[in-house]
Order: sequence, then C-alpha cells, then structure tokens
Amino acid sequence: MNSALLYVIVALYVAAVAGLGYLAYSRTKSDKDYLIAGGNVHPVLMALAYGSTFISTSAIVGFGGNAGLFGMSLLWLTFANIFVGIFLAFVFFGKKTLVVGRNLDAQTFPEFLGRRYHSAFIQKYAAAIIAIAMPLYAAAVMIGASRFLEQTLRINYNVAVLVFAVFVAAYVMTGGLKGVVYTDALQGTIMFVGMALLLVMTYAKLGGPLAAHQALTGLAAKLPESLAAKGHQGWTSMPAFLSEYWWVVVSTIVMGVGIGVLAQPQLIVRYLTVKSPRELNRAVVVGGIFILMMTGVAFVVGALTNVYFDQTVGKISLMASVDPATGKPNVDRIIPLYINSAMPVWFTYVFMLTLISAAMSTLSGQFHVIGTSISRDLYQPKSGQTARDPLLLNRLGLVAGLVITVWLSFKLPAGIIAVATAIFFGVCAAAFLPAYAAGLYWKRATRAGAIASMLVGSATSLFMLMFTYAKGSASLGVAQALFGKPALFAFPWTVVDPIVIALPLSSVTMVVVSLVTEPVEQGLLNRCFQKKILAPAGAAAE
Amino acid sequence: MLGIPDPQIWLAYLLCLLSAGLCVAYGAVKWNSHD
Repeated sequence: MNSALLYVIVALYVAAVAGLGYLAYSRTKSDKDYLIAGGNVHPVLMALAYGSTFISTSAIVGFGGNAGLFGMSLLWLTFANIFVGIFLAFVFFGKKTLVVGRNLDAQTFPEFLGRRYHSAFIQKYAAAIIAIAMPLYAAAVMIGASRFLEQTLRINYNVAVLVFAVFVAAYVMTGGLKGVVYTDALQGTIMFVGMALLLVMTYAKLGGPLAAHQALTGLAAKLPESLAAKGHQGWTSMPAFLSEYWWVVVSTIVMGVGIGVLAQPQLIVRYLTVKSPRELNRAVVVGGIFILMMTGVAFVVGALTNVYFDQTVGKISLMASVDPATGKPNVDRIIPLYINSAMPVWFTYVFMLTLISAAMSTLSGQFHVIGTSISRDLYQPKSGQTARDPLLLNRLGLVAGLVITVWLSFKLPAGIIAVATAIFFGVCAAAFLPAYAAGLYWKRATRAGAIASMLVGSATSLFMLMFTYAKGSASLGVAQALFGKPALFAFPWTVVDPIVIALPLSSVTMVVVSLVTEPVEQGLLNRCFQKKILAPAGAAAE
Repeated sequence: MLGIPDPQIWLAYLLCLLSAGLCVAYGAVKWNSHD
C-alpha cells in the first residue's frame, strides 16, 4: 500500500468538500437557505443529494455483506429501492409534497405534518421521534465509517469518530442544506464511479455475467447444512417459503427498508429543495440510474464474492469472513475483505473514497434533520413570532444532535449497530407513513386520525422491538430483564419485522379514527391543495 | 435466464433494470411538464 498516495488522495478529497462547504456558507443568508437550500436546487443536484443520503455505508458494506450470505434474493430490495424509493417516491409523494409543502410554507417534515393537520402536537411528536431515534441511525453510520477509517488509515477509532463528526458538522452548520446538497453531489458522483468500476471489474474477473451467475448457481452444491436448515437454497435462489431466512429477506430487508424509505424525514425534505414539480420529473432520471448502480451493484457483487472466495480459498463468503478476534463469521467483513484481496491496490483507494463519501453524505443529511427537529420543530416560538436569530438557533440544534450522536458512537455495543438502520426505517414507516400519505391524498383525513395513527404505529414498533422481534429485543435486553427470555413468543414472531404488523395497524387506525372524527376545516384544505406553486419566500436565485 | 435458474431471482434482476428504465423513460416524457 502506497501510504503517501493514499494521504494525498484523502487530502484532495477533504479540500474539495471543504471548498464546497465554503461555497455553500457564502450563499447561506436566510433561514430558508439553511432549511431547504433556498428552494431552487438543480434537479441533478437534488437527485444526487437524495440518492447519496439514502445510500450509506450500511447499504454498501452491511447489506452488500448480507448479499454474500443470502445471495441474489436481495435484488428484490434493489427493485423496491428503485420502484418505490425513487419512482413512486418522486412521482406520487415528492411532487405532491412540494405543492402542499410550498402552499403551507413548511420547511421541515414535522412542520409539514403539523401544518397539514393544523396540530402543534403532531409537529412536536414527529420531531421528538426524529430527535430520539435518528441519532441511533446516525451513530450506526458513524460507527461503520469510523471502523473502516480505523482499518484503512490506521487511526484510532475514537479519533476517527471525532474527525468525522466535526468535519461533517462544520459544513452542515455553516452551509446548512446548501452545504449538504453541494457536498452530496460530489460524494454521489464519487460513489457512482466507484460502484460502476466495482461491477465491471467483478464481472470481468469472473468471466462475464453469464459465467459468473452459472458459477454462483453451481455453488449451491457446497451449501453448508447449517444454512440449508434455515431455508437457504443457494445464492441464486429465494430462501424456502416461510423459512427463517425467507422472513429475514422478505420482511426485514425487502419490506422494512424498501417501504421505510418513503417516510424518511431527511429524504422528504429534499423534495422541498426544488423549484417546481418539473424539476422532480427530471430528477427521476438520475435517481433511478444512481440507485441501480448503488444497491444493484452492492448486492450482485456481494453474492458473487462467494465465487471468488470459493475459487481462491475454497470457502463460501460467510466462512471466509470469520473474524480472527472472535472466531465467528461477520458478514460486515465480506465486502472490505473482497475489495482488499480481489481488487488492485489503486481500486482499494477508490473504494475507500466511495465508502467515506457514502457515510458523509448520509451523516450530513441526518445531522441537518436532527438539528432542525430540535431547533425549529421542538423549540419553536409560538406561531406568528419568529426567532430572533433563526440561523443561530438551527446551528445550536445541530450541535445538540452532534453531541448525542457522538456519545452514542462511543457507547453503543457492537450488537445493536446492525439493527439500528432497520429500526429507524421501520419506526419511521409505522409512525409517519399513513399520516403522511393520507395528508397528501385523502382530504377526509383528520387531525385525530393522524395523531392516533402516529401513536399506534410508534407504540407497536417499540413493543415488537422490545419484546418479540429477536434481533431488536436481544440487543435492547428489556424482555430478558423483565421476563427472563430474549423474546416473548416463538418462531416465526422472532423473525417477523415490526413493520409487518405496525404499518397495517397504524394505517387502519388512520382510516377508522378519521372516519369517526371531525374533518379538517375546508379553508385549510383549500390552501393545501391549491394548484399554484409559489416560489419559496426569501429564496435567492442561484 | 441470465445464468440464473430460479425465476424469482432472474425476474428480480430484470425488474431492477426495467424499473431504472422506467425512471429514465418517465423523466424523458415529462421533461418539460409542470405536473
């Protein structure tokens, strides 16, 4: 490894990000610049910002490693990521969110929900869920990135966490959402190039797509009995219907993440950064291709690592990933191990930048939303008043979010990290999605319906995470402490993701309670759904 | 198909490509539309 070259590459990257951060700082003059990047971001920048915030190290390394275990069945998640996470999200959620959000002058997701239902409680409850749960997700991204930095740059883990946190916070704090979007565009471009190269080089190494897929199919003969017992049928087959692995792939991975993306506050706020629905029509093009190249490549390559490790060390990826320190397989090691052993040295540098970019682009969006949830939604002056210095308030909110995230990154046990991303996606879907979707498309949706749905969704998710869903309950330890066992019920409840129960329950609650309670006043509905798109007040032309 | 015998998997592989194609086609058709 050429250390001098490595440090030069990192220094150039840091300088480029810092330069974009300064550019954003020089263009951030108002509260609206800070919150929604002025509301006139170019569609290509918006799509790259959305995609790179969506895709973190846990998607590439975590879920890519899971593809090494489960195989190509994870491609159903890639399909969901593109069709639900981009096409449905932009076309049916994004454009409507932009129109209603602009009509209500909403600049954060909790503010959007609060104004749509004319309820301060909804705004503060949504902000509280974000302020409490999102640092857990941010810490998961931070820990993954810092562990990677620790291995590649040989720096102390605690130092890596602090460097990451302070560097990302610096450009988010000074440049607001403009700082996030500008740096996301650079980071998204690096990620696209890195993943495209990874796909081409992997297929080339294994003799082309057809030969690679056939070799992977042939590996089913070497499947360990322990995996077959859980429903594994090979890396180019779905797990056996209703087996343990089928539930993990379908309920946690495909549904949990595939649907959960629709209700992610840090992604929803991206819709508000463009000028009109036309920009979102254009952003769909870049978004679809970008996500295909991210999770599509990560999952295909993750599965194909089995062929490489079989040909070189005679083991499947899971067995090759045994951690020397613990003696146990660790799927998070599969992708880094493959890159370091199968790819040329120059590509390990490219991939390092890809992962740092993936982590930083997600962290910046998380920090921004945690900060605005605290400063604008939880600590908001009464309506009609404005804070004396809203920019300062937003920046103080970000510092609070940063401190919580860094503290969690030092304190969380390794076991809880793997589920933190899925927990956050699941809780967001159950708590927010019915109220959000109904707010866009159902004029009969009521304030009481939205409140009941959010309470039922978050409470059901929390209950299942603590008591029935084994991955969550074993990590949290509440069931063990109260009842002396890691989960209350037997299989399949131990592997049924909370979203499978909590989302339908909160959806039914939304409809039933709305039908028996007072509708939202007509004047508010007229204002929400007027067709006109207004330029955001205070927007400065780019 | 594609060297993958299980139709549930090659269908997923194809749907990934088709859904990305749908995004490109939609954007191209609605490029100048404000709706």
